[in-house]
Amino acid sequence: MTLPVLVGNRSFLALLFGVLLALPAFANQYTLFVGNLMLLYIILALGLNILVGFAGLLAFANAAIYGIGAYGTALLQVHLGWSFWAAAPVGAVLAMLIGTLLAFPALRLSGIFLALATLAFAQATQWVLWHWQSVTFGAGGFRVPPPDFGWIPVKQDYGIYFVSWAVTLGLLLFTWRIMRSRIGRAFVAMRDGEIAAQSLGIDLLTYKAMAFALSSFYAGVAGALYSGLLGFVSPEAFDLFQMIIQKAMIVVGGLGSVVGSVLGAALLVYVMEVLREFKSTQEIVFGALLIAFMVFQPHGLVVFMKRWLPGWEEPLHLAGGVQSTAPGHDTSVAGATSKEHASAERT
Amino acid sequence: MSILAVDAVSISFGGVRALDAVSATFGAGEIVGIIGPNGAGKTTLLNVICGINRPDTGNIRLQDRVITGMKPNRIAGMGLARTFQTSQLFAGMSILENMMTGLHLRSGTSLYGAALQTKRMRAEEAELAARARDALDFVGFGGFADRPGNVLSFGQRRIVEIARTLISDPKIVLLDEPAVGLSVNRVEELDSLLRRIRDEKGVTLVMIEHVIRLVMGVSDRVVVLNSGQKIADGRPEEIRNNPTVIEAYLGKQIDAARSAS
Repeated sequence: MTLPVLVGNRSFLALLFGVLLALPAFANQYTLFVGNLMLLYIILALGLNILVGFAGLLAFANAAIYGIGAYGTALLQVHLGWSFWAAAPVGAVLAMLIGTLLAFPALRLSGIFLALATLAFAQATQWVLWHWQSVTFGAGGFRVPPPDFGWIPVKQDYGIYFVSWAVTLGLLLFTWRIMRSRIGRAFVAMRDGEIAAQSLGIDLLTYKAMAFALSSFYAGVAGALYSGLLGFVSPEAFDLFQMIIQKAMIVVGGLGSVVGSVLGAALLVYVMEVLREFKSTQEIVFGALLIAFMVFQPHGLVVFMKRWLPGWEEPLHLAGGVQSTAPGHDTSVAGATSKEHASAERT
Repeated sequence: MSILAVDAVSISFGGVRALDAVSATFGAGEIVGIIGPNGAGKTTLLNVICGINRPDTGNIRLQDRVITGMKPNRIAGMGLARTFQTSQLFAGMSILENMMTGLHLRSGTSLYGAALQTKRMRAEEAELAARARDALDFVGFGGFADRPGNVLSFGQRRIVEIARTLISDPKIVLLDEPAVGLSVNRVEELDSLLRRIRDEKGVTLVMIEHVIRLVMGVSDRVVVLNSGQKIADGRPEEIRNNPTVIEAYLGKQIDAARSAS
C-alpha cells in the first residue's frame, strides 16, 4: 500500500528538494553553484514546458527572455543604483511584458513558422545586447554588485541559494496547481485541437497570451536570480545554445509534464557539469540528446517513470504512456468498451 | 420560434461558390438534417454558422442576435456548440478532463484562485467533475471517465464528443456526420440518443449526415443542399418525394430503400 507513495513523482520531488535544501550543509562552493544552477534551470524548464509542452506553442525565444530578465535586473542596479530586491521583480515583469507580445505572432503563425519568428526575435535581442553599448556594455558583459542578504539570517554566500530554492519550490507548486485547473486544461485543449478548443469557448488570444506571459515570467525570474548568482552578465549566456539546453531539458524530461520539467532540468544540469571540462562536447551531447529523444521517445523520461513506478501519476498527461493510436487499432480494448457501453445503454 | 436563422449567406473560396444565398431557419427543439452530395457546401454551412469561416454576404442570427463574423469562442458562449467530422477529443487528457473542458465557459477559476487552491476553486472543480460524470452517464460512457480517449473506438469517441458539447447546456448543437464509423447497431443507438437529447434536454440539433436511414428517421425537417444552393427544405416524407431532390441526389438510394422495405 505504501509502496506507490514511496516511489512516485511526489517522493521524487520531496527527495530532490530535500537534498537541495540540505546541500549548503555539506557541499563545497562549486557543488553549491551547480545546485543553484539546477534550481534556475528547473524554473526555466517549468516555464518553457508550459509554453511548448502544455500550450503547444513551438517558440524559441525563452533564452532571450531569460536574458532580458537578467539584463533588466542587472542594468537597473548598475545604471539607476536600485537594490537587487527592487530590480529583480521589475526585471522579471519586464521580461514577462516583452514575452507576452510574442502571443500576437503566435495567433497567426504555428509550428515551424512560429519557431522561425521567435528565433528571429531571439537573434534581434542578441544584436541589441551586443550593439547598444551605451546601455548594455556590449559583447564583453559587465559586473553586477552582489545582492545584500543582511535581512536573511544565513551566511551571505548562501543567500541567493536559499532564495532560489524557495522561489523554485513556489513556482513548482504554482505550475502544478495551474496546470491541473481549467487553465491547464485550456492549454492542452488548444495544443490538441485549436478549432475544437475554440468551439468549446476557449479564447485563443487569451490563452496564448497567458502561456507566453507565464513562461516569460518564469524566464525573467530565472534571469534575475542568475544575475544575482553570477554577479556578471554577458550576451553569450542567452544565445541559441542556451535555448537548445532548455529545449533539451523539457524534451528529455517530458513535454507537457510538470515533474518531467524538473527531472529533465536536474539531469541535464548534471550532464552539463560532467562535460564542462570538454567544453565543445556539451553542444554535441545536448544536440544528440534532443534528437535522440525526439526520434525514439518524444514523450521523455516520464514515460519510463510512469511504466516502472507505481506511484507516478500526473493529471493532464495521459497520452505519454499510451501513444495515441489510429482509430480501431486497439481492437481488444475497443471491443471490451463496446460491450460495456452496450450494457450501460440497456440499464 | 426560431433559434437560429441563416439569411442569404454566400461564401466563395478562390472562385468556387461554396454557398450561394443559402437561407434557413432552425426552430427550438427541432432535429434538422442537412443532406446533399459531396461538395454541396454542408460543412461550409456549419463552419459559417459557428464562426470558423466568415460569409462574404448574408447574416446569421442566433436567438435574434446577429453573430456574423464573431469569433467561434464567442458564438459558443452564446449557446451554440458543434462536433466535427473527425474525432476532436483532446488526446492529452482523460475523458473526464475532456468533458470538464467542455465546461470551460461555465467555470471561472482564475490564475489566482488556482494558485491558492481557494475553497471556491476546489468546490468548482468538484462540481465540474460531477457534471462531467453525469454527462458521460447520459451517453452511457460513465465507466470510462478516467481513461484516455484513445481506448475508445472511433465511433465511440464521436458519441463522447456529443456529450462534451451537451455538457455546457447549449441551445443548439451542430453535428457533422455523427454516424461516420458507426456500425449498424451503433447507428440505432445514435438515433435514440439524438431523440433523447431533443426530448429530454430540448436542444435543437442540426445534423449533416450521409446515412439516409438515420436522417430520414430522426429528423423533423430536412434541408437539401446541392452545389452550394438550397434545393429543398421540408419534412422527410416531402423530401423523399421531391423530384428535384431525387434527380439531384437521392434517386437511387431512395428507390433502393423502398424496394428493400
